[in-house]
Amino acid sequence: MATKQRSSAAGQTLDKSQLLHMYEQMKTIREFEERAGKEFASGKVPGFVHLYAGEEAVAVGVCSHLTDDDYITSHHRGHGHCIAKGVDLRAMAAELLGREAGACRGKGGSMHIADVNKGMLGANGIVGGGFPLAVGAGLTAKTNGKGQVAVCFFGDGAANQGTFHEGLNLAGIWKLPVVFVAENNGYAESTPVTYHMSCRDIADRAAGYNMPGVTVDGLDVLAVHEAAGEAIARARRGEGPSLIECKTYRYYGHFEGDTTTYRTKEEVNAYRTRDAIEAIHRSIVERGIATAQELDAIDKKVQDSIDLAWQFAESAPYPSPEEALTDVYVKYP
Amino acid sequence: MESILFMSSPLVGIIANPASGRDIRRLVAHGTVFDNNEKTAIVRRVLLGLEAVGIQRVAYMPEHDFGILPRALTELHGHHLQLAAEPLEMVVLGTSADSTRAAQSLAKLGAGCIITLGGDGTNRAVAKGCGTVPLVPISTGTNNVFPAFLEGTIAGMAAGLIASGMGDERTIKRAPRLEVCINDVAIESALVDVVVSSLPFVGARALWDMSVVREVVLSCVTPATIGLSALGGALLDAGYERGEQVGMHIMLGAGGSQVLIPLAPGLISWVDISEHRRLAVDDMVLCQPGAGTVALDGEREIELSATSVVEVRLCADGPYVVDVPAVLEAAAHAGRLHRQQAD
Repeated sequence: MATKQRSSAAGQTLDKSQLLHMYEQMKTIREFEERAGKEFASGKVPGFVHLYAGEEAVAVGVCSHLTDDDYITSHHRGHGHCIAKGVDLRAMAAELLGREAGACRGKGGSMHIADVNKGMLGANGIVGGGFPLAVGAGLTAKTNGKGQVAVCFFGDGAANQGTFHEGLNLAGIWKLPVVFVAENNGYAESTPVTYHMSCRDIADRAAGYNMPGVTVDGLDVLAVHEAAGEAIARARRGEGPSLIECKTYRYYGHFEGDTTTYRTKEEVNAYRTRDAIEAIHRSIVERGIATAQELDAIDKKVQDSIDLAWQFAESAPYPSPEEALTDVYVKYP
Repeated sequence: MESILFMSSPLVGIIANPASGRDIRRLVAHGTVFDNNEKTAIVRRVLLGLEAVGIQRVAYMPEHDFGILPRALTELHGHHLQLAAEPLEMVVLGTSADSTRAAQSLAKLGAGCIITLGGDGTNRAVAKGCGTVPLVPISTGTNNVFPAFLEGTIAGMAAGLIASGMGDERTIKRAPRLEVCINDVAIESALVDVVVSSLPFVGARALWDMSVVREVVLSCVTPATIGLSALGGALLDAGYERGEQVGMHIMLGAGGSQVLIPLAPGLISWVDISEHRRLAVDDMVLCQPGAGTVALDGEREIELSATSVVEVRLCADGPYVVDVPAVLEAAAHAGRLHRQQAD
């Protein structure tokens, strides 16, 4: 009989502590991003920042199934993935400020935060740069044979890059434990997906690489969690890669300073009324899982941790000039 | 120029849902993606079918997702469509409410038939707004009972013939529906099934784990369906006569028999049944209390608290649905598909 074993990863298995942890993580990402935007506006952050606010449900819904032994690759909007994967907030803030205590000793900045001890293989300034890394990590995971998985977060713009097709093809033919998570926020920089993508729904492309493709509401952390749970369990069982498309939205511009003339205030407001954090807050309270006071206490804890992280970063020293010659492939005299 | 929407010749509506056919059942079962380029190709064939039987006016639901209709109207291999197609004037929200409002607009404009592309959920949304306008539902979803796998060309011809006056009791049937009341307030309808589960959240919507399902109410019992409605087919007794309209209430759990049903594409399972009974029109089911969710036509839609009271009533006043083979048969008998050869 052609029955299929279902995993136990679905949303119904979430208990109170898991739900509160997911809420806390989403809130942490939001507060970190709001603070990063303010620090950037004040001129303290060199380079660019691309804020993840609005998309928290995707990173948290997916990463809540992962351990430090699993790998993720990210993109230019990578702060949320770092936090959801457990990268230290102080090291992140210090990295944004270019300090020696940063996750990459201040050399990477916002777009290149990595922490291999946490399985975070790096944010990435190259659009579509994560696919080859995730496929390589997937090959490592398959070779190790310990049930690890690799998750590749990418945007709708990256789905039109050659690396997307090459990466999914390799993962498909080698049956690698990779979960490709499309964060379709509707715009590749300023170009709407309705213009730049021939098929509009990234999940449609999965069939071309012999893997399942699904579309979920990326503003619903429980929907993302359920779909990701099934895809990750499938990868751990050795059944190969999957593609999950999360329809989501970024609250801020492509980068801080973007005037966002390509979208209306009404559109932004419409998405803000569906805010993922408010939705899970409401669900938790209405279902009697926790009280509003318990969630307030989490909010306070999050705010304190963000404040401490930025205070730590601002007081941390800059790397010495000689540091520029370390951690490189060529040894200088 | 006057909009075609307000002219007097027969009008056919098309509501094509760009979001159907890519839910979680691709991961938990063996469903495959139904992509929008395929839906576009189907609509293109629908349009050609409509044109072939003389339809000159088509109105369609606009959407920002993909633009199924505008794309279908192009790339016709040089064929110049004689019919005119216009989008309905409506605000697009990108939710199922669009389908409901499009159906309401089409009913108001006097459409003679509406062709839908989607699954049970899409048709549920359309049924809320279409009034007495008959539907030709084409399946582009996953677990579909209400819509059929129809060739677009045939669907277009049948819809065109209905809009042109071929509709009668032989060619159009009225489907049942299930009215769902929560705490004495009627809040929703389902076309095929209402399922109460212990899953606490709407989440990814689909249901595939029978260990969480408490009870199922079916609007009609037919063999050869997929999803939880298949329970009804598996529980048919010898007294059932093919074509008979009956509903069913099924309690899952230990103490009774097991039935083998196709829950989703390629996902077949033995399900424990504790009891079941047939339902007649106007029969009411009072569901067992308990926190969880109510799924309508296969998708979790309503979250329940422990004190929610859920009642489901079988109603006869569902949407009108075109019997496609019957229309084409009637058209042939009436000579609508015949003409003399040119000399």
